[in-house]
Amino acid sequence: MGAIEKQRNILDFTLSSLGRRKGKNIALVVVYTFVIFLLASVLFFTHSLKKEASLILQDAPEMTVQRLLAGRQDLIPTHYIDTIRQIRGVQSVAPRLWGYYYDAMSGANYTLMVNAELNDRAGEIIIGNGVSMRSMSGIGNQALRKNDIIPFKTYDGSVLTLKVRGLLPFASELVTADLILVSEADFRTLFSIANDQATDLVLNVRNAKELSTIAAKITQIHPDTRPILREEILRTYDAVFDWRGGVIFMVLSGVFFAFIILAWDKATGLSAEEKREIGILKAIGWETSDILLMKFWEGSAVSIAAFFMGIFLAYLHIFLASSILFEPVLKGWSVLYPSFRLTPYISVYQIATLFFLTVIPYTVVTIVPSWRSATIDPDSVMRM
Amino acid sequence: MIRLQNVRKVFNADKSNEFVAIEGVNLSIDSHGATVLKGPSGSGKTTLLSILGCMARPTSGRIMLKEREITSLPERFLTEVRRETFGIVFQQFNLIKGITALENVMLPAYPNGEKHASLKKRAMDLLDLLNLTGKAFSKVEWLSGGEAQRIAIARALINNPAIIIADEPTAHLDTRLSREFMEIMRQLKKEGKTLLIASHDPIVYDSTVIDRIVEMRDGKIESSGDVP
Repeated sequence: MGAIEKQRNILDFTLSSLGRRKGKNIALVVVYTFVIFLLASVLFFTHSLKKEASLILQDAPEMTVQRLLAGRQDLIPTHYIDTIRQIRGVQSVAPRLWGYYYDAMSGANYTLMVNAELNDRAGEIIIGNGVSMRSMSGIGNQALRKNDIIPFKTYDGSVLTLKVRGLLPFASELVTADLILVSEADFRTLFSIANDQATDLVLNVRNAKELSTIAAKITQIHPDTRPILREEILRTYDAVFDWRGGVIFMVLSGVFFAFIILAWDKATGLSAEEKREIGILKAIGWETSDILLMKFWEGSAVSIAAFFMGIFLAYLHIFLASSILFEPVLKGWSVLYPSFRLTPYISVYQIATLFFLTVIPYTVVTIVPSWRSATIDPDSVMRM
Repeated sequence: MIRLQNVRKVFNADKSNEFVAIEGVNLSIDSHGATVLKGPSGSGKTTLLSILGCMARPTSGRIMLKEREITSLPERFLTEVRRETFGIVFQQFNLIKGITALENVMLPAYPNGEKHASLKKRAMDLLDLLNLTGKAFSKVEWLSGGEAQRIAIARALINNPAIIIADEPTAHLDTRLSREFMEIMRQLKKEGKTLLIASHDPIVYDSTVIDRIVEMRDGKIESSGDVP
């Protein structure tokens, strides 16, 4: 009981002590919070993007087959479908038509994809939120709405006008922001693609364990094709987001080291006044361990407060403020991500790592110089 | 109560600036009395007071407190002895700035693990005793010299020590406040405290509170005798 009261009394004194050196402590907390905020933002952001991408890819086909020509992707003949369907274990094969369209007016690249539901509705499109915000029709900043007309320049130079049938839901904005769904007929007209060709083929198999065997058979039958497994895409996504996170981390490491220097200077350099106080406390009966306990509480209070504030601000930044600070670096080349909300995914493991890499070292750093001062003879205070 | 045997204290031993602060001191301090260490600056009063108050160890010699040798006690135990036995009033008061008078008074008792509420009550009682109730929640830097010293006295009394040590307590006080200080000492002595004061102020050593004067010069005791 006495031990708890002792801790409480010393903690009480520590907290009122913090208020006495307001300037120094506020400066420390502000800088510390900022560093935690930046680091946590990167962690939250990359983690959520990876998670979101993997969730979306869960619905992706198990295998995609592309045709290569001179090492680049080329249109695939639809008669390949028949031979691939013959392979044992293949459940279904379907052609896909998709591509990119550069809109010179908005400077944006759109992803155009054929949607079977629109096949009997030629002349109509469904657009993503990003497309709607970046008006292609030259009617200023007004967002596109249902029944608006969008002109497209086809590959033979003529103009094809398509009517907006609807908008894609907001929830899937990560992949649908720049997406335009069109009918097969319009797609073929727009890009002058023959009826017996497709962008790629998508496969479903009966047994996932046979994927690599089936892929091998496809390349054997059609040596000009490249089968891509969903798992490979997932791995690539992970690598890309990790790499981007790494770039940000490299930039932030400079900030982090600056913080370490500041923290070292501010937290370790005991002022003459602080040394005097330690002398007084020793003279009036505090033990060295009591002083260290006080300094431990002091370091903990500053760093835990900053840690949680930093995490909280990072959460707001990433999940409520659309990661405005480093959106351009982390989201890539597309100009179609003006506002974008990630679903919050937080990894306890990452928070714990951040905690052990910041709070613990800081607390230790603050104790060491106090230990040196705490071992001075209490009679030194008699001569002040 | 306290006995010093052949105590010597050397600062910066074996260095070019070696300095012998006290040499060959033998002294016995009885309970419930008031003793003054008197002498000019540099005579070794403060060093002797530090050794008597367990704040410094002698270079050689022995210290007995209530027949228990404390010279070679480890720091932790010596701190405990200091906290439980001595209350110290410093020349510069040495209050901690930025916190209230009440918190300053409570500080020496924090490591004891006493309940905060009961500790606060005892501290308030002491402030009341020294007519400082109204200043309890004032920051110490706002207090006058006399008030600051009474806070320092209250702080020295919070652990109910048997011995009160005061180093040049009137150095920063005018005559009226110095006499007030001696009246507080008289009261404490009446309550059974042992007083040990280092001073070269006549208001202190000529006071009727004092039972014994130990005169020091150049680190040695020149004379020691009871006040007639």
